[in-house]
Amino acid sequence: MMNASLEGWGLWLALAGACLGTYVCRAIGVMLSGRINQDSEIFRLLSAITYAMVAALTVRLILFPIGLMATVPAWIRILICVLSIGVMVSKPTKRLVPALLTGTLLMVGYGIVR
Amino acid sequence: MSKADQPYIDPSEIPLEGSAAERFKNRSDAFWSGIRDATGAPAMVLFAGMVGFGAMGRTNGVDGWFTTLSSLLMFALPGQVVLMEMVVTGSSVLTIALAVTLTSTRFVTMTVTLFPQLHEKDRNRNLYASVHLLAMTAWAVSMKEFSSIEAKHRLSYFVGLGLLCWLISVPGTILGYFLAGFVPAPVTLGLVFINPLFFLLTFTEVKPWINRSAIGLGCVLAPAFTIMDRDSSLLTTGLVAGTIAYLIDRKWIRKRAGLIG
Repeated sequence: MMNASLEGWGLWLALAGACLGTYVCRAIGVMLSGRINQDSEIFRLLSAITYAMVAALTVRLILFPIGLMATVPAWIRILICVLSIGVMVSKPTKRLVPALLTGTLLMVGYGIVR
Repeated sequence: MSKADQPYIDPSEIPLEGSAAERFKNRSDAFWSGIRDATGAPAMVLFAGMVGFGAMGRTNGVDGWFTTLSSLLMFALPGQVVLMEMVVTGSSVLTIALAVTLTSTRFVTMTVTLFPQLHEKDRNRNLYASVHLLAMTAWAVSMKEFSSIEAKHRLSYFVGLGLLCWLISVPGTILGYFLAGFVPAPVTLGLVFINPLFFLLTFTEVKPWINRSAIGLGCVLAPAFTIMDRDSSLLTTGLVAGTIAYLIDRKWIRKRAGLIG
C-alpha cells in the first residue's frame, strides 16, 4: 500500500485542490448567506452525503487501517471502539472528553502490553 | 457550555436561538472574550484532533510541510483526514479534490446560518477573509453565544474565537508530527487513533433520522466499496449511501411525524 502513495507534484496538486475546494465552499456560504433557507432539499442531501462519507472514512480507518494501526489486531480495535462508545452514552449528557480519553489510553495500554 | 461541548459534523444539528443583550463594552472586549472562550473544552478537543492528524502524517511517511500546510490552509479536520488517507493510498488528484470538497459542503450551511446574525455594517467583503476561521468548533460556540451578544459585537467575538482555534491547529499538527517520531510506539498508536475515535463518537450525537441512516448505510457499504476499488471508495460510498438515505427520508420517514428527530 505504501508504494502507491502520491508523490511529487501530484501530492501538492491534491493539496491545492483540497484547499481550493474547501475555501470555495466557505465563500459560497458568504455569497448565499441571508438568501437561502438552511432547511432546503439540497442541504439535506449534501448533509447526508457528508455523513455517509465521514462514516465510510471512519470504517476505513478502523477496519482497513494503513501503517502503524494495521499492526493492531482488528478485534482489539473494535473492542476499544465499543468500550469508548459505552463511556460516551453512559450518561444522558454525553461525555466526549472521557470517552476520547478512554479509547486513546486503552490503545496506548494495548501498545505497552503487547 | 453544555451543548457547545459536543462536537458536530453537520451544522443543522444545533438549533438557532433568540435575541441579544448588552454584554461587551466594545469590540476589543468582545474579541478578547472570544479568545478566552477558545481555550475551553471544544477547542481542546480540536487541538487533540490536530495532534492526532500530525501523528497520522508522520506514521504514514507524509511530508511534514504538506501535513502542516493542510491544517493552515484547509482548517477542516474531516476533509484533512480524507485528503491524508487518499494521498497515502494513492487516489487520483481529481477524486481527492472532489471527495474533500464534498465533505466541505457543510461550510455552506454553517456560513448561511451564522453570518446573517452579524450586524449589517459588518456584512461586507471582509467576510470572505473571516470565513476561513469558520470551522465546526467556532461555529458551534458562536451559534450558542450569539444570542446573548448584541449584533455589533458578534463579528469581533467570532474573529477572536475562530482566530485562536485556527492558530492552535498549526502548532497542534506540528506537535503531533514530531511527537510521533519521538515518543514510544504505544503513545504514537494512541495519537493515531484519536481521529477515527473522535468521528465515531460524534455519530452518537446525531439526531435527524436522515443523517443517522446515512451513517448506517455508509458504515455498511464502505467495506464493499473499499474492496471493489479503494481509490474512489470514499466518494462512491458517500454519494451512494447519502443519496439512498436522502431518498428513504423523502419517501417514507418525513411522512411519519413521530420519527423526525
